[in-house]
Amino acid sequence: MVFYAKVLETTLLFTMFVLSVYMLSGLTGLFSLGHGAFITIGAYTAGLATTRFGLPIWLSLILAVVVGMIGGLIIGAPTLKLRRDYFLLVTFGFGEMVRALLLWTAQLTGGAMGLAGIPYAAELPLIAVSTLVVVLFVANLKKTAFGRTCIAIRDDELAAQAMGVNVYAHKIKVFLLSAAIASYGGALLAFNMSFIEPNLFNWLESAKLIVIIFVGGINSVTGALITGIFYYSFGELFRFAHVWRDVILGLLVILVIVFRAQGVFGSWEFSPAWIRSRFHRRPARNQEA
Amino acid sequence: MGSSIFFQQLINGVSLGGVYAVMAVGFGIVFNVLKFSNFSHGGVVAISAYVGYYLSRNVTDNFWLALAATTMIGGAVGLLVERLVFRPVRRAGKPLTYFFVNSITVAMVVQQFFSAMWGAHYFAYPDFFERTAFHVSGLVISRTYLLMLVISAVVLLALTLFLRATKLGIAIRAASSDIYTPPLMGVNTDVVTGLTFVIAGLLAGITGFFLGMTYTVTPFIGSMMLRGIIAAIIGGMGSLAGGVIAGILLGAVEALLIAEVGSSVTPIIIYLGIVVLLLVRPQGIAGKPYTVKA
Repeated sequence: MVFYAKVLETTLLFTMFVLSVYMLSGLTGLFSLGHGAFITIGAYTAGLATTRFGLPIWLSLILAVVVGMIGGLIIGAPTLKLRRDYFLLVTFGFGEMVRALLLWTAQLTGGAMGLAGIPYAAELPLIAVSTLVVVLFVANLKKTAFGRTCIAIRDDELAAQAMGVNVYAHKIKVFLLSAAIASYGGALLAFNMSFIEPNLFNWLESAKLIVIIFVGGINSVTGALITGIFYYSFGELFRFAHVWRDVILGLLVILVIVFRAQGVFGSWEFSPAWIRSRFHRRPARNQEA
Repeated sequence: MGSSIFFQQLINGVSLGGVYAVMAVGFGIVFNVLKFSNFSHGGVVAISAYVGYYLSRNVTDNFWLALAATTMIGGAVGLLVERLVFRPVRRAGKPLTYFFVNSITVAMVVQQFFSAMWGAHYFAYPDFFERTAFHVSGLVISRTYLLMLVISAVVLLALTLFLRATKLGIAIRAASSDIYTPPLMGVNTDVVTGLTFVIAGLLAGITGFFLGMTYTVTPFIGSMMLRGIIAAIIGGMGSLAGGVIAGILLGAVEALLIAEVGSSVTPIIIYLGIVVLLLVRPQGIAGKPYTVKA
Protein backbone atom coordinates (compact mmCIF):
# COMPACT_ATOMS: atom_id res chain seq x y z
CA MET A 1 0.00 0.00 0.00
CA VAL A 2 2.85 2.34 0.91
CA PHE A 3 4.40 1.62 -2.47
CA TYR A 4 1.28 2.59 -4.37
CA ALA A 5 0.88 5.74 -2.29
CA LYS A 6 4.47 6.62 -3.19
CA VAL A 7 3.78 6.00 -6.88
CA LEU A 8 0.73 8.22 -6.66
CA GLU A 9 2.69 11.00 -4.97
CA THR A 10 5.47 10.94 -7.55
CA THR A 11 3.00 10.81 -10.42
CA LEU A 12 1.04 13.77 -9.08
CA LEU A 13 4.21 15.82 -8.62
CA PHE A 14 5.35 15.10 -12.15
CA THR A 15 1.89 15.93 -13.43
CA MET A 16 2.35 19.33 -11.86
CA PHE A 17 5.65 19.73 -13.73
CA VAL A 18 3.97 18.69 -16.98
CA LEU A 19 1.32 21.36 -16.44
CA SER A 20 3.90 24.06 -15.71
CA VAL A 21 5.50 23.20 -19.04
CA TYR A 22 2.09 23.04 -20.71
CA MET A 23 1.53 26.72 -19.90
CA LEU A 24 4.83 27.61 -21.46
CA SER A 25 5.01 25.28 -24.46
CA GLY A 26 1.42 24.28 -25.13
CA LEU A 27 -0.16 27.68 -24.58
CA THR A 28 2.58 30.11 -25.52
CA GLY A 29 4.84 28.11 -27.82
CA LEU A 30 8.00 28.73 -25.83
CA PHE A 31 10.31 25.80 -25.19
CA SER A 32 12.48 25.54 -22.15
CA LEU A 33 15.04 22.77 -22.06
CA GLY A 34 16.09 23.98 -18.63
CA HIS A 35 12.76 23.69 -16.91
CA GLY A 36 14.24 21.02 -14.71
CA ALA A 37 16.54 23.75 -13.41
CA PHE A 38 13.56 25.48 -11.77
CA ILE A 39 12.49 22.22 -10.19
CA THR A 40 16.05 21.78 -8.92
CA ILE A 41 16.19 25.37 -7.69
CA GLY A 42 12.91 24.92 -5.83
CA ALA A 43 14.04 21.62 -4.33
CA TYR A 44 17.41 22.98 -3.19
CA THR A 45 16.05 26.26 -1.86
CA ALA A 46 13.49 24.42 0.23
CA GLY A 47 15.99 21.76 1.28
CA LEU A 48 18.66 24.26 2.29
CA ALA A 49 16.21 26.57 4.02
CA THR A 50 14.99 23.80 6.30
CA THR A 51 18.16 21.80 6.90
CA ARG A 52 20.77 24.56 7.02
CA PHE A 53 18.79 27.55 8.24
CA GLY A 54 16.01 25.86 10.18
CA LEU A 55 13.18 27.78 8.54
CA PRO A 56 9.63 26.44 8.87
CA ILE A 57 8.15 24.45 5.99
CA TRP A 58 5.65 27.06 4.79
CA LEU A 59 8.31 29.76 4.66
CA SER A 60 10.66 27.44 2.74
CA LEU A 61 7.94 26.81 0.17
CA ILE A 62 7.41 30.54 -0.36
CA LEU A 63 11.16 31.11 -0.53
CA ALA A 64 11.51 28.36 -3.14
CA VAL A 65 8.92 30.03 -5.35
CA VAL A 66 10.57 33.44 -4.96
CA VAL A 67 14.05 32.15 -5.80
CA GLY A 68 12.68 30.21 -8.77
CA MET A 69 11.02 33.34 -10.12
CA ILE A 70 14.20 35.37 -9.69
CA GLY A 71 16.02 32.70 -11.72
CA GLY A 72 13.29 32.95 -14.34
CA LEU A 73 13.68 36.71 -14.50
CA ILE A 74 17.45 36.47 -15.00
CA ILE A 75 17.01 34.06 -17.91
CA GLY A 76 13.78 35.44 -19.32
CA ALA A 77 14.47 39.16 -19.38
CA PRO A 78 17.29 39.11 -21.94
CA THR A 79 16.13 36.17 -24.06
CA LEU A 80 12.37 36.56 -24.41
CA LYS A 81 12.82 39.71 -26.49
CA LEU A 82 14.76 37.73 -29.07
CA ARG A 83 13.81 34.98 -31.48
CA ARG A 84 12.38 31.96 -29.65
CA ASP A 85 15.43 29.83 -30.37
CA TYR A 86 17.56 32.00 -28.10
CA PHE A 87 15.21 31.37 -25.21
CA LEU A 88 15.37 27.65 -25.88
CA LEU A 89 19.14 27.51 -26.17
CA VAL A 90 19.82 29.71 -23.15
CA THR A 91 17.44 27.73 -20.94
CA PHE A 92 19.34 24.63 -22.04
CA GLY A 93 22.55 26.30 -20.83
CA PHE A 94 20.78 27.49 -17.67
CA GLY A 95 20.01 23.91 -16.70
CA GLU A 96 23.67 23.02 -16.96
CA MET A 97 24.63 26.17 -15.08
CA VAL A 98 22.43 25.39 -12.10
CA ARG A 99 23.98 21.93 -11.93
CA ALA A 100 27.49 23.40 -12.11
CA LEU A 101 26.55 25.93 -9.44
CA LEU A 102 25.36 23.18 -7.08
CA LEU A 103 28.54 21.18 -7.62
CA TRP A 104 30.68 24.26 -7.06
CA THR A 105 28.98 25.27 -3.81
CA ALA A 106 29.44 21.76 -2.42
CA GLN A 107 30.18 23.04 1.10
CA LEU A 108 26.70 24.45 1.37
CA THR A 109 24.70 22.17 -0.90
CA GLY A 110 26.52 18.88 -0.51
CA GLY A 111 27.55 18.93 -4.18
CA ALA A 112 27.53 15.61 -5.95
CA MET A 113 26.85 13.85 -2.64
CA GLY A 114 23.40 15.37 -2.62
CA LEU A 115 21.45 16.92 0.21
CA ALA A 116 19.99 14.54 2.74
CA GLY A 117 17.89 14.86 5.86
CA ILE A 118 15.20 17.16 4.47
CA PRO A 119 12.12 16.79 6.68
CA TYR A 120 9.40 14.60 5.23
CA ALA A 121 6.61 17.14 5.12
CA ALA A 122 4.88 16.72 1.79
CA GLU A 123 2.47 13.86 2.20
CA LEU A 124 -0.23 12.75 -0.19
CA PRO A 125 -2.97 15.24 0.85
CA LEU A 126 -0.75 18.30 0.40
CA ILE A 127 0.56 17.06 -2.96
CA ALA A 128 -2.90 16.10 -4.19
CA VAL A 129 -4.44 19.46 -3.24
CA SER A 130 -1.53 21.39 -4.77
CA THR A 131 -1.75 19.43 -8.02
CA LEU A 132 -5.50 19.87 -8.17
CA VAL A 133 -5.15 23.63 -7.73
CA VAL A 134 -2.57 23.77 -10.52
CA VAL A 135 -4.77 21.65 -12.81
CA LEU A 136 -7.77 23.93 -12.28
CA PHE A 137 -5.60 27.00 -12.65
CA VAL A 138 -4.08 25.94 -15.97
CA ALA A 139 -7.37 24.59 -17.35
CA ASN A 140 -9.07 27.89 -16.57
CA LEU A 141 -6.14 29.99 -17.72
CA LYS A 142 -6.65 28.56 -21.17
CA LYS A 143 -10.16 30.02 -21.28
CA THR A 144 -9.29 33.50 -20.03
CA ALA A 145 -8.44 36.46 -22.25
CA PHE A 146 -4.84 36.12 -21.09
CA GLY A 147 -4.72 32.47 -22.12
CA ARG A 148 -6.28 33.16 -25.51
CA THR A 149 -3.73 35.89 -26.11
CA CYS A 150 -0.98 33.40 -25.31
CA ILE A 151 -2.41 30.98 -27.87
CA ALA A 152 -2.45 33.80 -30.41
CA ILE A 153 1.23 34.46 -29.69
CA ARG A 154 1.97 30.77 -30.11
CA ASP A 155 0.21 30.52 -33.46
CA ASP A 156 1.41 33.77 -35.01
CA GLU A 157 3.55 36.11 -33.00
CA LEU A 158 3.71 38.77 -35.68
CA ALA A 159 -0.07 38.86 -36.13
CA ALA A 160 -0.58 39.06 -32.35
CA GLN A 161 1.84 41.94 -32.18
CA ALA A 162 0.03 43.69 -35.02
CA MET A 163 -3.21 43.38 -33.04
CA GLY A 164 -1.63 45.34 -30.23
CA VAL A 165 -0.56 42.48 -27.94
CA ASN A 166 2.46 43.20 -25.80
CA VAL A 167 4.20 39.96 -26.70
CA TYR A 168 7.19 40.40 -24.41
CA ALA A 169 5.05 41.16 -21.36
CA HIS A 170 2.88 38.11 -21.98
CA LYS A 171 5.82 35.84 -22.53
CA ILE A 172 7.60 36.91 -19.37
CA LYS A 173 4.43 36.62 -17.27
CA VAL A 174 3.79 33.09 -18.49
CA PHE A 175 7.41 32.12 -18.01
CA LEU A 176 7.52 33.44 -14.44
CA LEU A 177 4.24 31.72 -13.57
CA SER A 178 5.53 28.51 -15.05
CA ALA A 179 8.83 28.84 -13.19
CA ALA A 180 6.92 29.52 -9.96
CA ILE A 181 4.82 26.36 -10.35
CA ALA A 182 7.88 24.30 -11.25
CA SER A 183 9.87 25.51 -8.24
CA TYR A 184 6.92 25.03 -5.91
CA GLY A 185 6.60 21.48 -7.22
CA GLY A 186 10.35 21.06 -6.82
CA ALA A 187 10.12 22.12 -3.18
CA LEU A 188 7.32 19.60 -2.61
CA LEU A 189 9.49 16.98 -4.29
CA ALA A 190 12.31 17.74 -1.85
CA PHE A 191 9.95 17.47 1.12
CA ASN A 192 8.60 14.23 -0.30
CA MET A 193 11.86 12.46 -1.14
CA SER A 194 13.96 13.85 1.74
CA PHE A 195 17.05 13.47 -0.45
CA ILE A 196 17.98 15.49 -3.51
CA GLU A 197 21.02 15.63 -5.77
CA PRO A 198 22.15 17.93 -8.60
CA ASN A 199 21.41 15.39 -11.34
CA LEU A 200 17.78 15.11 -10.32
CA PHE A 201 16.73 16.88 -13.49
CA ASN A 202 18.99 17.00 -16.52
CA TRP A 203 17.99 18.44 -19.88
CA LEU A 204 16.52 15.11 -20.87
CA GLU A 205 13.92 15.28 -18.11
CA SER A 206 13.00 18.76 -19.28
CA ALA A 207 12.77 17.52 -22.86
CA LYS A 208 10.48 14.69 -21.75
CA LEU A 209 8.07 17.17 -20.17
CA ILE A 210 7.77 18.93 -23.55
CA VAL A 211 7.48 15.71 -25.49
CA ILE A 212 4.67 14.42 -23.25
CA ILE A 213 2.64 17.53 -24.06
CA PHE A 214 3.03 16.89 -27.77
CA VAL A 215 1.85 13.31 -27.46
CA GLY A 216 -1.28 14.48 -25.67
CA GLY A 217 -1.82 17.38 -28.04
CA ILE A 218 -0.85 20.99 -27.47
CA ASN A 219 -4.48 22.14 -27.49
CA SER A 220 -5.59 19.80 -24.74
CA VAL A 221 -4.84 20.19 -21.03
CA THR A 222 -6.63 16.88 -20.56
CA GLY A 223 -4.30 15.25 -23.07
CA ALA A 224 -1.22 16.57 -21.27
CA LEU A 225 -2.64 15.33 -17.96
CA ILE A 226 -3.55 11.86 -19.13
CA THR A 227 -0.27 11.34 -21.00
CA GLY A 228 1.71 12.63 -18.02
CA ILE A 229 -0.11 10.43 -15.51
CA PHE A 230 0.19 7.41 -17.78
CA TYR A 231 3.89 7.93 -18.50
CA TYR A 232 5.04 8.59 -14.94
CA SER A 233 2.89 5.99 -13.19
CA PHE A 234 3.94 3.43 -15.80
CA GLY A 235 7.59 4.24 -15.11
CA GLU A 236 7.17 3.81 -11.39
CA LEU A 237 5.13 0.62 -11.59
CA PHE A 238 7.35 -1.13 -14.14
CA ARG A 239 10.82 -0.22 -13.02
CA PHE A 240 12.44 -2.95 -15.12
CA ALA A 241 11.34 -1.20 -18.29
CA HIS A 242 12.55 2.13 -16.91
CA VAL A 243 15.18 2.87 -19.54
CA TRP A 244 13.37 1.46 -22.51
CA ARG A 245 10.21 3.41 -21.81
CA ASP A 246 11.93 6.61 -22.98
CA VAL A 247 12.93 4.97 -26.25
CA ILE A 248 9.31 3.85 -26.67
CA LEU A 249 8.01 7.31 -25.73
CA GLY A 250 10.36 8.89 -28.26
CA LEU A 251 9.32 6.63 -31.12
CA LEU A 252 5.69 7.21 -30.19
CA VAL A 253 6.21 10.98 -30.35
CA ILE A 254 7.71 10.84 -33.80
CA LEU A 255 4.85 8.68 -35.03
CA VAL A 256 2.29 11.03 -33.48
CA ILE A 257 3.89 14.14 -34.95
CA VAL A 258 4.24 12.63 -38.40
CA PHE A 259 0.79 11.07 -38.60
CA ARG A 260 -1.34 13.04 -36.14
CA ALA A 261 0.25 16.39 -35.41
CA GLN A 262 -2.61 17.60 -33.25
CA GLY A 263 -1.72 14.91 -30.70
CA VAL A 264 -3.60 11.86 -29.47
CA PHE A 265 -6.32 13.93 -27.80
CA GLY A 266 -6.54 16.75 -30.34
CA SER A 267 -8.33 19.64 -28.71
CA TRP A 268 -10.68 17.52 -26.65
CA GLU A 269 -11.12 18.66 -23.05
CA PHE A 270 -12.70 16.81 -20.20
CA SER A 271 -15.21 19.25 -18.71
CA PRO A 272 -18.70 19.38 -17.18
CA ALA A 273 -19.97 20.65 -20.53
CA TRP A 274 -18.57 17.61 -22.27
CA ILE A 275 -20.19 15.24 -19.74
CA ARG A 276 -23.56 16.95 -20.19
CA SER A 277 -23.26 16.68 -23.95
CA ARG A 278 -22.89 12.90 -23.56
CA PHE A 279 -26.35 12.76 -21.98
CA HIS A 280 -28.21 15.40 -23.96
CA ARG A 281 -26.88 14.73 -27.46
CA ARG A 282 -26.05 18.38 -27.74
CA PRO A 283 -22.62 19.51 -29.01
CA ALA A 284 -20.29 20.56 -26.20
CA ARG A 285 -19.25 24.16 -26.40
CA ASN A 286 -15.54 23.69 -26.09
CA GLN A 287 -15.21 20.98 -28.68
CA GLU A 288 -14.72 23.18 -31.69
CA ALA A 289 -11.94 25.18 -30.01
CA MET B 1 49.98 31.12 -14.59
CA GLY B 2 53.40 30.96 -16.25
CA SER B 3 53.66 31.83 -19.90
CA SER B 4 54.55 28.30 -20.99
CA ILE B 5 51.51 26.87 -19.21
CA PHE B 6 49.46 29.67 -20.72
CA PHE B 7 50.53 28.77 -24.26
CA GLN B 8 50.10 25.08 -23.51
CA GLN B 9 46.50 25.66 -22.45
CA LEU B 10 45.92 28.00 -25.35
CA ILE B 11 47.05 25.39 -27.87
CA ASN B 12 44.91 22.67 -26.31
CA GLY B 13 41.96 25.02 -26.04
CA VAL B 14 42.19 26.15 -29.64
CA SER B 15 42.35 22.53 -30.81
CA LEU B 16 39.25 21.64 -28.85
CA GLY B 17 37.74 24.90 -30.11
CA GLY B 18 38.21 23.58 -33.63
CA VAL B 19 35.92 20.69 -32.76
CA TYR B 20 33.40 23.12 -31.22
CA ALA B 21 33.57 25.11 -34.45
CA VAL B 22 32.77 22.02 -36.52
CA MET B 23 29.89 21.32 -34.15
CA ALA B 24 28.60 24.90 -34.38
CA VAL B 25 28.68 24.78 -38.18
CA GLY B 26 26.88 21.43 -38.26
CA PHE B 27 24.21 22.87 -35.99
CA GLY B 28 24.12 26.19 -37.82
CA ILE B 29 23.80 24.90 -41.38
CA VAL B 30 20.51 23.17 -40.59
CA PHE B 31 19.35 26.18 -38.62
CA ASN B 32 20.05 28.39 -41.63
CA VAL B 33 18.01 26.34 -44.05
CA LEU B 34 15.08 25.13 -41.95
CA LYS B 35 15.24 27.77 -39.14
CA PHE B 36 14.92 25.46 -36.19
CA SER B 37 17.32 24.37 -33.44
CA ASN B 38 18.35 20.93 -34.51
CA PHE B 39 19.00 18.94 -31.36
CA SER B 40 19.15 15.69 -33.29
CA HIS B 41 22.65 16.85 -34.27
CA GLY B 42 23.78 15.76 -30.79
CA GLY B 43 22.18 12.37 -31.44
CA VAL B 44 24.11 11.93 -34.69
CA VAL B 45 27.30 12.99 -32.85
CA ALA B 46 26.65 10.32 -30.22
CA ILE B 47 25.95 7.62 -32.81
CA SER B 48 29.15 8.56 -34.63
CA ALA B 49 31.16 8.39 -31.41
CA TYR B 50 29.96 4.83 -30.83
CA VAL B 51 30.47 3.85 -34.48
CA GLY B 52 33.97 5.32 -34.41
CA TYR B 53 34.74 3.34 -31.28
CA TYR B 54 33.47 0.12 -32.82
CA LEU B 55 35.39 0.62 -36.06
CA SER B 56 38.67 1.56 -34.45
CA ARG B 57 38.54 -1.32 -31.97
CA ASN B 58 37.24 -4.07 -34.21
CA VAL B 59 37.77 -3.21 -37.86
CA THR B 60 40.82 -1.08 -38.43
CA ASP B 61 43.53 0.51 -36.32
CA ASN B 62 44.28 3.04 -39.01
CA PHE B 63 43.29 6.52 -37.81
CA TRP B 64 42.48 7.88 -41.26
CA LEU B 65 40.39 4.92 -42.33
CA ALA B 66 38.41 4.90 -39.11
CA LEU B 67 37.84 8.66 -39.29
CA ALA B 68 36.76 8.55 -42.94
CA ALA B 69 34.39 5.64 -42.36
CA THR B 70 32.86 7.27 -39.27
CA THR B 71 32.37 10.51 -41.16
CA MET B 72 30.62 8.71 -44.02
CA ILE B 73 28.36 6.83 -41.62
CA GLY B 74 27.59 10.11 -39.85
CA GLY B 75 26.48 11.56 -43.18
CA ALA B 76 24.30 8.53 -43.87
CA VAL B 77 22.71 8.75 -40.43
CA GLY B 78 22.06 12.45 -41.02
CA LEU B 79 20.25 11.64 -44.26
CA LEU B 80 18.30 8.83 -42.61
CA VAL B 81 17.12 11.13 -39.82
CA GLU B 82 16.05 13.72 -42.37
CA ARG B 83 14.13 11.17 -44.43
CA LEU B 84 12.37 9.48 -41.53
CA VAL B 85 11.78 12.33 -39.14
CA PHE B 86 11.95 15.71 -40.81
CA ARG B 87 10.86 15.18 -44.38
CA PRO B 88 7.28 14.06 -43.53
CA VAL B 89 6.87 17.12 -41.32
CA ARG B 90 8.24 19.44 -44.00
CA ARG B 91 6.13 17.91 -46.77
CA ALA B 92 3.01 18.42 -44.67
CA GLY B 93 3.96 22.06 -44.22
CA LYS B 94 3.70 21.91 -40.44
CA PRO B 95 5.02 24.70 -38.17
CA LEU B 96 8.65 24.87 -37.07
CA THR B 97 7.66 23.72 -33.59
CA TYR B 98 7.19 20.19 -34.85
CA PHE B 99 10.67 20.08 -36.38
CA PHE B 100 12.08 21.09 -33.06
CA VAL B 101 10.07 18.58 -31.03
CA ASN B 102 11.08 15.82 -33.42
CA SER B 103 14.72 16.83 -33.11
CA ILE B 104 14.78 16.70 -29.30
CA THR B 105 12.96 13.40 -29.51
CA VAL B 106 15.67 11.97 -31.75
CA ALA B 107 18.33 13.18 -29.32
CA MET B 108 16.39 11.62 -26.44
CA VAL B 109 15.84 8.29 -28.20
CA VAL B 110 19.53 8.03 -29.09
CA GLN B 111 20.73 8.83 -25.59
CA GLN B 112 18.24 6.52 -23.90
CA PHE B 113 18.96 3.76 -26.38
CA PHE B 114 22.67 3.86 -25.58
CA SER B 115 21.92 4.10 -21.86
CA ALA B 116 19.71 1.04 -22.09
CA MET B 117 22.22 -0.93 -24.13
CA TRP B 118 25.56 0.06 -22.65
CA GLY B 119 24.72 2.52 -19.91
CA ALA B 120 27.15 1.00 -17.45
CA HIS B 121 30.09 0.82 -19.87
CA TYR B 122 32.55 3.53 -20.72
CA PHE B 123 34.43 3.03 -23.96
CA ALA B 124 37.87 4.45 -24.69
CA TYR B 125 39.31 4.77 -28.18
CA PRO B 126 42.63 3.05 -28.87
CA ASP B 127 45.83 5.09 -29.20
CA PHE B 128 46.28 5.50 -32.91
CA PHE B 129 49.85 6.77 -32.87
CA GLU B 130 52.96 5.51 -31.15
CA ARG B 131 54.53 8.90 -30.68
CA THR B 132 51.66 10.91 -29.35
CA ALA B 133 53.29 14.24 -28.65
CA PHE B 134 55.74 16.72 -30.10
CA HIS B 135 58.04 18.87 -28.01
CA VAL B 136 58.48 22.37 -29.33
CA SER B 137 60.55 24.76 -27.20
CA GLY B 138 59.22 23.51 -23.89
CA LEU B 139 55.64 23.04 -25.09
CA VAL B 140 54.12 19.61 -25.37
CA ILE B 141 51.82 19.45 -28.37
CA SER B 142 49.64 16.38 -28.45
CA ARG B 143 49.53 14.83 -31.88
CA THR B 144 45.83 14.09 -31.50
CA TYR B 145 45.07 17.72 -30.68
CA LEU B 146 47.17 19.00 -33.56
CA LEU B 147 45.44 16.61 -35.97
CA MET B 148 42.06 17.67 -34.65
CA LEU B 149 42.87 21.30 -35.31
CA VAL B 150 44.27 20.70 -38.79
CA ILE B 151 41.44 18.41 -39.86
CA SER B 152 38.79 20.80 -38.50
CA ALA B 153 40.39 23.65 -40.42
CA VAL B 154 40.61 21.66 -43.66
CA VAL B 155 37.01 20.46 -43.36
CA LEU B 156 35.65 23.93 -42.69
CA LEU B 157 37.68 25.33 -45.58
CA ALA B 158 36.39 22.63 -47.91
CA LEU B 159 32.83 23.34 -46.78
CA THR B 160 33.32 27.06 -47.45
CA LEU B 161 34.57 26.31 -50.95
CA PHE B 162 31.66 23.97 -51.54
CA LEU B 163 29.11 26.55 -50.40
CA ARG B 164 30.70 29.33 -52.44
CA ALA B 165 31.71 27.65 -55.68
CA THR B 166 29.41 24.75 -56.48
CA LYS B 167 25.89 24.85 -57.79
CA LEU B 168 24.55 22.77 -54.90
CA GLY B 169 26.36 24.99 -52.41
CA ILE B 170 24.78 28.06 -53.92
CA ALA B 171 21.40 26.32 -53.74
CA ILE B 172 21.94 25.74 -50.01
CA ARG B 173 22.84 29.38 -49.50
CA ALA B 174 19.81 30.46 -51.48
CA ALA B 175 17.58 28.22 -49.37
CA SER B 176 19.21 29.70 -46.26
CA SER B 177 18.08 33.20 -47.09
CA ASP B 178 14.62 32.13 -48.25
CA ILE B 179 13.33 28.59 -48.61
CA TYR B 180 10.20 29.54 -50.58
CA THR B 181 11.70 31.22 -53.62
CA PRO B 182 14.40 28.73 -54.83
CA PRO B 183 11.79 26.11 -55.86
CA LEU B 184 10.32 28.73 -58.20
CA MET B 185 13.75 28.97 -59.84
CA GLY B 186 13.89 25.25 -60.46
CA VAL B 187 15.78 24.26 -57.32
CA ASN B 188 14.69 20.95 -55.86
CA THR B 189 14.10 21.76 -52.16
CA ASP B 190 14.02 18.08 -51.21
CA VAL B 191 17.52 17.60 -52.57
CA VAL B 192 18.77 20.77 -50.92
CA THR B 193 17.44 19.94 -47.45
CA GLY B 194 18.59 16.34 -47.81
CA LEU B 195 22.05 17.57 -48.73
CA THR B 196 22.07 20.00 -45.82
CA PHE B 197 21.41 17.14 -43.41
CA VAL B 198 24.09 15.03 -45.08
CA ILE B 199 26.62 17.83 -44.58
CA ALA B 200 25.51 18.28 -40.97
CA GLY B 201 25.80 14.49 -40.56
CA LEU B 202 29.32 14.42 -42.00
CA LEU B 203 30.33 17.18 -39.61
CA ALA B 204 28.65 15.30 -36.75
CA GLY B 205 30.63 12.20 -37.75
CA ILE B 206 33.91 14.09 -37.44
CA THR B 207 32.81 15.69 -34.17
CA GLY B 208 31.72 12.37 -32.72
CA PHE B 209 35.00 10.73 -33.61
CA PHE B 210 37.09 13.55 -32.12
CA LEU B 211 35.01 13.83 -28.97
CA GLY B 212 35.19 10.07 -28.54
CA MET B 213 38.96 10.26 -28.92
CA THR B 214 39.33 13.15 -26.46
CA TYR B 215 36.90 11.89 -23.83
CA THR B 216 35.48 8.44 -23.18
CA VAL B 217 32.35 7.39 -25.01
CA THR B 218 29.27 7.47 -22.80
CA PRO B 219 25.56 7.79 -23.61
CA PHE B 220 25.81 11.45 -22.60
CA ILE B 221 28.41 12.40 -25.20
CA GLY B 222 25.66 13.96 -27.30
CA SER B 223 25.20 16.61 -24.60
CA MET B 224 28.62 17.93 -25.57
CA MET B 225 26.66 19.59 -28.35
CA LEU B 226 25.88 22.32 -25.84
CA ARG B 227 29.35 23.74 -26.58
CA GLY B 228 28.57 23.88 -30.28
CA ILE B 229 25.26 25.57 -29.53
CA ILE B 230 26.95 28.12 -27.30
CA ALA B 231 29.45 28.81 -30.07
CA ALA B 232 26.57 29.25 -32.52
CA ILE B 233 24.89 31.78 -30.19
CA ILE B 234 28.09 33.74 -29.55
CA GLY B 235 28.85 33.75 -33.25
CA GLY B 236 25.38 34.99 -34.06
CA MET B 237 22.72 32.49 -35.10
CA GLY B 238 22.63 32.11 -38.84
CA SER B 239 26.26 32.96 -39.41
CA LEU B 240 28.56 30.00 -40.06
CA ALA B 241 31.73 32.13 -40.02
CA GLY B 242 30.70 33.65 -36.68
CA GLY B 243 30.18 30.15 -35.31
CA VAL B 244 33.69 29.10 -36.34
CA ILE B 245 35.34 32.12 -34.71
CA ALA B 246 33.20 31.73 -31.60
CA GLY B 247 33.95 27.99 -31.41
CA ILE B 248 37.70 28.53 -31.39
CA LEU B 249 37.34 31.42 -28.97
CA LEU B 250 35.16 29.33 -26.67
CA GLY B 251 37.65 26.46 -26.68
CA ALA B 252 40.53 28.80 -25.81
CA VAL B 253 38.64 30.72 -23.11
CA GLU B 254 37.37 27.50 -21.59
CA ALA B 255 40.83 25.92 -21.41
CA LEU B 256 42.37 29.05 -19.91
CA LEU B 257 39.55 29.45 -17.38
CA ILE B 258 39.84 25.82 -16.33
CA ALA B 259 43.58 26.30 -15.76
CA GLU B 260 43.06 29.56 -13.89
CA VAL B 261 39.93 29.12 -11.76
CA GLY B 262 39.14 25.41 -11.99
CA SER B 263 36.72 23.25 -13.91
CA SER B 264 33.77 23.71 -11.56
CA VAL B 265 33.43 27.51 -11.89
CA THR B 266 34.23 27.65 -15.61
CA PRO B 267 30.81 26.62 -16.93
CA ILE B 268 29.12 29.11 -14.58
CA ILE B 269 31.27 31.97 -15.88
CA ILE B 270 30.67 30.96 -19.51
CA TYR B 271 26.87 30.72 -19.14
CA LEU B 272 26.67 34.03 -17.28
CA GLY B 273 28.81 35.52 -20.04
CA ILE B 274 26.27 34.38 -22.62
CA VAL B 275 23.34 35.92 -20.74
CA VAL B 276 25.27 39.21 -20.55
CA LEU B 277 26.18 38.94 -24.24
CA LEU B 278 22.54 38.47 -25.19
CA LEU B 279 21.62 41.54 -23.13
CA VAL B 280 24.15 43.84 -24.78
CA ARG B 281 24.73 42.31 -28.20
CA PRO B 282 22.15 39.66 -29.08
CA GLN B 283 23.28 39.51 -32.70
CA GLY B 284 26.58 37.92 -31.62
CA ILE B 285 29.98 38.35 -33.24
CA ALA B 286 28.69 38.27 -36.80
CA GLY B 287 26.31 41.11 -36.14
CA LYS B 288 23.41 39.84 -38.20
CA PRO B 289 20.23 40.34 -36.15
CA TYR B 290 17.81 37.48 -36.35
CA THR B 291 14.11 38.23 -36.25
CA VAL B 292 10.93 36.31 -36.90
CA LYS B 293 9.67 36.83 -40.41
CA ALA B 294 6.04 36.59 -41.38
